[in-house]
Amino acid sequence: MFRDPAPALQLSGLTKRYDDGTLALEDFNLEIHSGAFFGLLGPNGAGKTTLISAVCNLLRITEGEVLVFGEPHDTLKARSWVGLAEQDINLDRFLTVRETLEYHGGYFGMDKDEIEGRAEEMIQAFGLTSKRDVRAPKLSGGQRRRLLLARALMHRPRLVILDEPTAGVDFELRQELWAYIRQLHSEGTTILLTTHYLDEAEFLCEEIALIRDGHLIARDSADGLREHFGVTRLEDVYVKAMAS
Amino acid sequence: MTGLVWLCKRETLRVSKLWTQTVLAPVVSSMLFILVFGLSLGGRIKHVGDVDYEVFIVPGLITMGMVQAAFANNASTIFQARFDRYINDVMSAPMRSWHMTFGYTIGGIVRALAIGVSLLVLAVVLVNVPIEHPFELALAISLGLVLFASLGLVVGIYAETWDHTSFIQNIVILPLTFVGGVFYSIDILPSPWQELSHVNPVFYLVNSVRYGFLGESDVSIWLSLAVTAALAIPAYAWAQHLFTTGKRLKS
Repeated sequence: MFRDPAPALQLSGLTKRYDDGTLALEDFNLEIHSGAFFGLLGPNGAGKTTLISAVCNLLRITEGEVLVFGEPHDTLKARSWVGLAEQDINLDRFLTVRETLEYHGGYFGMDKDEIEGRAEEMIQAFGLTSKRDVRAPKLSGGQRRRLLLARALMHRPRLVILDEPTAGVDFELRQELWAYIRQLHSEGTTILLTTHYLDEAEFLCEEIALIRDGHLIARDSADGLREHFGVTRLEDVYVKAMAS
Repeated sequence: MTGLVWLCKRETLRVSKLWTQTVLAPVVSSMLFILVFGLSLGGRIKHVGDVDYEVFIVPGLITMGMVQAAFANNASTIFQARFDRYINDVMSAPMRSWHMTFGYTIGGIVRALAIGVSLLVLAVVLVNVPIEHPFELALAISLGLVLFASLGLVVGIYAETWDHTSFIQNIVILPLTFVGGVFYSIDILPSPWQELSHVNPVFYLVNSVRYGFLGESDVSIWLSLAVTAALAIPAYAWAQHLFTTGKRLKS
């Protein structure tokens, strides 16, 4: 499998202070190698979504640098390499399932023939065939979550960012999404996953970073973290890391 | 450029999917104005200058319908996209900021043109309105639509609630349009209302469109076009600035 020599994601001195003065990230440094399955764990308000938004050009960075496969994150090339499934359902209410995927492909520069084929592929892969002409607000919660993930993958991104993709979904769908994400990773896609579910992080991620109050607390494999914190369960690692 | 084309398509699709709301309703209300004001009042006010009253009001009503649609469409499309956060799909895409500004501007312009053309066809059938200066008419309408479509974007970007967008529409744009000479020539106004009309930017737009249709205007066509252009260019630049900097669009 081809591995890009440049890191999939490189954050250097990343700082974000919001207009109300909240410091969400401070001098944050992180490097994720190409092809990794990387988990980001931390409590609400730790800075996970801020970090993701910074990578995806959804916020104004106060200081620092973000490189995606060696390219500054705000270049057109870098943008086309990233796919984001946000935590909240943010689907265009005027578009059907099929249109949601097609328009996303269009925004990301895919050509028309490629768009049609890929949209059909995504619709089938995510079990949305019977809903292809249904508008997003008429879908069930699980179908919306699937469409969100399908949209993120539509343009074949090299780096897929999943912000709590299984939050609030039932057991069956969670298993389905896990299977799809693992398959995607096995094909060489780099994945950055944020989650509150420790079992999810342990099951899926090769490496896990713990963040709190905008700072990186620790990063290692699940086994490495357990060893480092001298405990046997990832829950205990989390508790110790957040209390330290 | 592919992203720009798809964003334009998306904004146009929204207008067409909601056509009863975005096109039919404004056309019906403008036609009611022509029927009620033109054909009923036309019995009492025979002429304005050399023009029949029901013909005189058509250019102003077309302008009013178009600029309100351009503003309302863009204010609501961008506010909805921010409110539901699906604007992130565009903001994170490999598109330049000018693609975003242009793409989001197009929806309002397409909607306004659909309304304008429908009204024109109906007005030709009902009151046989002429088009004396097509070039000036096209220029005036283009400038007016850029102005109000851009203002719609700016307001939709700054708005924090739906009320903010309708407030500007109902408290600023609608009154300025009504007192902008849609239904009368300012020649009939006493002082200081006649002089005050000259500080209303919509007055210049209505007059330039009226010149295009009827060949008559309360002020010079070139002054009218210059004033409209002097407002349209900074309004578009303001919208572009917001997309370039991400101000109010990115936290």
